[in-house]
Amino acid sequence: MNGSPNFGSGCSFAPWADPHEKPLIRFDAVTKKFDDFVAIDNLNLKIYEREFFALLGPSGCGKTTLMRMLAGFEQPTTGSIMMNQEHLTDIPPHRRPVNMMFQSYALFPHMTVEQNIAFGLKQERRPKAEIKERVEEMIALVQLQPFAKRKPHQLSGGQRQRVALARSLAKKPRLLLLDEPLGALDRKLREQTQFELMTIQEKLGLTFVIVTHDQEEAMTVASRIALMEQGKVVQVATPREIYETPNCRYVADFLGDVNIVGGHILGPDDKEEDIVQLAWHEDYAPLRVRLPQPVTFPAKGKEMWIAVRPEKVRITKDYPTDTHNILKGKVLDIAYTGNISTYHVRTEDGQIIKSQEANLEHLHRRAITWDDEVYVHWRAGGCVLLER
Amino acid sequence: MKRFSFFNASALTLGFAFLYLPIVLLIIFSFNESRLVTVWGGFSTKWYSAVFANKGFMDAAWVTVRVGVVSATLATILGTMAALVLVRAGRFPGKTLFSGMVYAPLVMPEVITGLSLLLLFVSLDFDRGFWTIILAHVTFSMCYSAVVVSSRLVTFDMSLEEAAMDLGASRMATFFQVTVPIILPAIVSAWLLSFTLSLDDLVIASFTSGPGATTLPMKIYSQVRLGVTPEINALSTILVVLVSTGVIAASLLTKRREVQRRREERAAFAES
Amino acid sequence: MSNLTNLTEVTDLLTAGEPETPQRPKRRSRMVLPKNFGRCALILVPYVWLLVLFLIPFIIVVKISLSDTAIAMPPYTPTFDWAGGWASFKEMVGGWDFENFTWLMEDDLYWKSYLSSLEIAFVSSLLALLIGYPIAYSMARAPAEWRPTLLMLIILPFWTSFLIRVYAWIGILKKEGLLNMLLMHLGIIDDPLTILNTDLAVYIGIVYSYLPFMVLPLYSSLEKMDDSLLEAATDLGCSPFKAFWLITVPLSLPGVIAGCFLVFIPAVGEFVIPDLLGGSNTLMIGKTLWVEFFANRDWPVASAVAVILLILLVVPIVLFQRQQEKQQEKGA
Repeated sequence: MNGSPNFGSGCSFAPWADPHEKPLIRFDAVTKKFDDFVAIDNLNLKIYEREFFALLGPSGCGKTTLMRMLAGFEQPTTGSIMMNQEHLTDIPPHRRPVNMMFQSYALFPHMTVEQNIAFGLKQERRPKAEIKERVEEMIALVQLQPFAKRKPHQLSGGQRQRVALARSLAKKPRLLLLDEPLGALDRKLREQTQFELMTIQEKLGLTFVIVTHDQEEAMTVASRIALMEQGKVVQVATPREIYETPNCRYVADFLGDVNIVGGHILGPDDKEEDIVQLAWHEDYAPLRVRLPQPVTFPAKGKEMWIAVRPEKVRITKDYPTDTHNILKGKVLDIAYTGNISTYHVRTEDGQIIKSQEANLEHLHRRAITWDDEVYVHWRAGGCVLLER
Repeated sequence: MKRFSFFNASALTLGFAFLYLPIVLLIIFSFNESRLVTVWGGFSTKWYSAVFANKGFMDAAWVTVRVGVVSATLATILGTMAALVLVRAGRFPGKTLFSGMVYAPLVMPEVITGLSLLLLFVSLDFDRGFWTIILAHVTFSMCYSAVVVSSRLVTFDMSLEEAAMDLGASRMATFFQVTVPIILPAIVSAWLLSFTLSLDDLVIASFTSGPGATTLPMKIYSQVRLGVTPEINALSTILVVLVSTGVIAASLLTKRREVQRRREERAAFAES
Repeated sequence: MSNLTNLTEVTDLLTAGEPETPQRPKRRSRMVLPKNFGRCALILVPYVWLLVLFLIPFIIVVKISLSDTAIAMPPYTPTFDWAGGWASFKEMVGGWDFENFTWLMEDDLYWKSYLSSLEIAFVSSLLALLIGYPIAYSMARAPAEWRPTLLMLIILPFWTSFLIRVYAWIGILKKEGLLNMLLMHLGIIDDPLTILNTDLAVYIGIVYSYLPFMVLPLYSSLEKMDDSLLEAATDLGCSPFKAFWLITVPLSLPGVIAGCFLVFIPAVGEFVIPDLLGGSNTLMIGKTLWVEFFANRDWPVASAVAVILLILLVVPIVLFQRQQEKQQEKGA
């Protein structure tokens, strides 16, 4: 391990960027079939020690299967899963140094909070005193001291979630799997619990793998996100990278809101050499995209797409200056969601571009309203060029 | 608040009168002084003493209870195994035949079951008696037990077992520490059902028993064929009251626990 | 069938078809079962038990139904000579014939008892429906806090002995019984009616004993019904009676069918009720079998009667199963 990981700054902890770092978990060409259905399709993935790794994707994308293979409830049809250079595939679930927090929590209804947390330790036949101490420690960690003697049905949803967490942490697993751990909680509690999870993970220095379909949750808690689609990992990156520089339209569209415009590569911009021009409509000026360093120009005439987030698109009534891409259109719709307003602007050729503005002041009267003639515009650095 | 309408109230009153009046009359006349069952001759409990003094009844009752306990226990174990096979074992050769054999006894006329088992015992040259009744009772009770337990297993949350294994419990440990305690109520009701089935059975026991093993229903039947007697009324009353008290107590207990549980759940959510 | 006691599970089973493994993803099955030896043992123990004590006895019944009567004990020939192996098996099969069945065909006693069993079971099912429907309807419309109690009251008789409940009617129905005394006391009749030992008594007995079988599926289909359907119908101009006829009745039809089968199937093979309440000319197949076996000691004929009874029951059981499956598909 290179130095101590530090989540506070978020940038010094990046074992995936270090070629000498050994991963904790390694999926090698793993395929999982259920009869004819391919749940996991030739998947490769590395998860490093002390990561908070999120598996994100729509339901049925294979993220749960992936997690269940880590827990040992499923066997890969082909390929191998390694943990610290050791084959995990042949180890039955009850012998793996992996614990799981279930989506339904799966608390044993006939046991108290204490007994639930002690269950795993008892299976190892640890000394009584040690079990007692460990259980107390866990109960304190999740702040459930007054509820230790209660049974699961005497707890609220949030308390049950904590018991499930404490139970899965009690054995100090090398790897903790969290299957939609916050799905059953209401929004406020969920947000609060996300931060608690991060604090606990940091404090105990464990490796967490979380399965979620909630992109905000993944963005909040994870050090890296693997976005999955139909049994494949589409992109693995930090939350910031995956949001700002998605590698395909699917990723761009899955995380947050996005405007996508397709076109053909025209060539480099005449003024700035790291900007490429994309012809998208014969009547309009080409769109300009700033390419990431080191700059490699795509072939001329190639079909590509640009993706730009609505919050990076400005909307004005006057013709803007000091910007790269300007489209003229008419306000079709305005969605007011309190903190922001999203304007849907139809350009003259029918393309819909969304633009978000923060509502900085009380909205008594909008400067821009329905059917206004407006300009939407964004800078070349605010959008990305996508191959697929 | 919804109330009973006149029609509903009268339909229910008549319906339950039809269901319960015969039993109530039977109970009343068990306290009749007169030997003539339909003429009231004053209150008396002498027929109860007569029942307890009747060695034939007592012996038969003892046989019945022994048969009931042994066969219910075996039937519950086998039935639970059969339920596990039906719900959990996945596919195996002959599964269709197996589930057919589990469900068929439920709709099989007793005369056929009884006859076929007797013919089996005869061709195997078994001495018929106590144990052949038990074998017969286990065979049909285990199917009822299997139905009761499998209906619980179907709704069992598999993640509980996965959680146990995830926490280091072997398959056996998981089964006995997690699965069995959770489905215990179903196992208990399977036992009670098997016990009552055995207690009630006349036809199959008549076919499969031999000399020396007379169950209570067989004894009652042979008496009843001769007509209504106050002793039988008294004996019937004892049986009915025992069983009903048990059933009502059990259902009240379940209900109270459920109410208690719901109250605790609500309290837990109110607290947070 | 007389002691189908725990109705909730049994009707659940019969109205829902076989409780198969739910349609969860395949990956969930087989988790807790020991993989090899344990799983085999788990399957084999109940399997062998049922094979030996359920299926093989049947085969023996079929075999004996094809044998000849003999005076010896057991009263049939040929008994299989286990030591003789294949040769004696061939000899035995050679000795088989349909004599007993031919005899059953020729003797109209058997014909009549088959037909009258079917008739009695059919009429009893209709009577049970007529009596059970208002009860089930009223239970479903009762205040919600009453329903569990009412349900308990319907199920309770099933835990108490079937024999005793049938016996209770003897004292009521016999000539000097309570019913006649009451009617004469009220001056409705002058001479006691003969009810016991007639078909009427058998009808009463069957309806009384199997009424809960009718009420429970009816209740469960009526209770599921959404009240707003009736409100919608009246809102659209139906009178309450018409709404009942056009909405409630069709929606309770699955319950009606299930209930009728649940009364009909066990009633066909019933023995205790016709024996205790019926007369000497009440013919029911279960009783015929019993008499053939215990009184006439003609085991081959009794076996042949059993085989035909089974064939008779296969049709309604299969029909019932089909109906339940269709219902399930509709539900899914």
